[in-house]
Amino acid sequence: MKVTFKIWRQENTDAQGELKAYEVDGLSEDMSFLEALDHLNEILVLKDEKVIAFEHDCREGICGQCGVFINGRAHGPHNNTTTCQLHMRSFKEGDTIVVEPWRASSFPIVKDLVVDRSAFDRIIQQGGYITAKTGTAAEANAILVSKEVSDSAMDAAACIGCGACVATCKNASAALFTAAKINHLNKLPQGQPEAHRRLLDMTAQMEFENFGSCTFTGACEIECPADISISNIAEMNARYVKAKLFG
Amino acid sequence: MFFRKSIVAATGLFLCIFLIVHLSANAILLLPETTARELYNSYSTALRENLFITLIAYLLYISIILHVVYAAIITFRNTKSKGEKYKVNHNNKNSTWMSQNMGFLGVFILLFIVVHLANFWAKIKLGIGEDVGVDVNGNVDVYEVTSFLFHNMYFMLFYSVLMIPLGFHLYHGLKSAFMTLGFYHKKGLRLLAKISLAYAIIMSVGFGIIPLFVYFK
Repeated sequence: MKVTFKIWRQENTDAQGELKAYEVDGLSEDMSFLEALDHLNEILVLKDEKVIAFEHDCREGICGQCGVFINGRAHGPHNNTTTCQLHMRSFKEGDTIVVEPWRASSFPIVKDLVVDRSAFDRIIQQGGYITAKTGTAAEANAILVSKEVSDSAMDAAACIGCGACVATCKNASAALFTAAKINHLNKLPQGQPEAHRRLLDMTAQMEFENFGSCTFTGACEIECPADISISNIAEMNARYVKAKLFG
Repeated sequence: MFFRKSIVAATGLFLCIFLIVHLSANAILLLPETTARELYNSYSTALRENLFITLIAYLLYISIILHVVYAAIITFRNTKSKGEKYKVNHNNKNSTWMSQNMGFLGVFILLFIVVHLANFWAKIKLGIGEDVGVDVNGNVDVYEVTSFLFHNMYFMLFYSVLMIPLGFHLYHGLKSAFMTLGFYHKKGLRLLAKISLAYAIIMSVGFGIIPLFVYFK
């Protein structure tokens, strides 16, 4: 299989970037998209050229490391998938595939396709956890949680923090990520003691990081690999308004 | 961020309610001419003489201004948040065109409001331009102003065609406003999407068809 990659090359954060074309032959349609990039990098090594920097880790859709903008879509042409779960069979022989890094002011480009997503870490640091003593795991049935609550908390907890929501959003809003992280804990009894502070602190950090505001285009929930619904954002808004009005 | 967005949503919803009342009144224009003239003029006189309506009118002007100003601020900040644009972006695959272009649609609606106010509000309330006559009941003949305007082909087209961007703006705006203000019930949101579509169609077709009707009557 032969395709042409047009890949964003940028030396560092401050350098001027550009799309560079690479014709790549010898690909198999069974290769994952990341394996195709590996294949291209091997060719570049043999040619003594600089390899393309891109992030990856588990390559099974759970770590949230990989994430690039492929042919005008976050994580490629399919809905609700990660880049590592995209395969070359989704493209045709002779296709031109444009690959760009996530674009958002809060995600500065480090090099080529790698962006700095530590803004997400700083949002988590503001309350994306519960303060509890570590040690032996507590008896699982000590705190009872209804099925509905645990299901909806788990739906939010599925977020892998890949940043596709920010990348696809025209406003570079981190509302889906932040809402998922807040709702995951605030729905559960374990999250209750710090629920109020968590909501206010994490949203404040989200604004401080200069992410845009949510205008409900709905693009994020289509691209989200964890299929997180934008109703989470509306729920965050509801709780925020309630917290501000009634303390 | 939340505050600004809530202002846009709340004022937007108020304007949505206003449009229902406005369209109901405009529907008078679809009646036979003599009845329409009499009803329309007495209705508009009643509005002008009602203190409560005067207060609502001021609320309306404030809402329009806040809606436009805050939407402009949010758009400016969001554009800055996004930074450099993608070279290739197929956002039509994951979201509707109107949701991506609310500001663009809004500019047309603002243009419409300015012209609309110049045509009616400036003429009848501020008394700018030619004097407006009275009808047989002694009410200011707003019907004549409307009918005269809509018999001008350019104004007729302006008033009809610009209801298309209004419809698109309302379709996304109505459901988005509810979500911004915290309506998150999942089944409710699906119903809300249908209601928004129906509302947008009724408003744009309703407002858009009246100038055509008057022109060809």
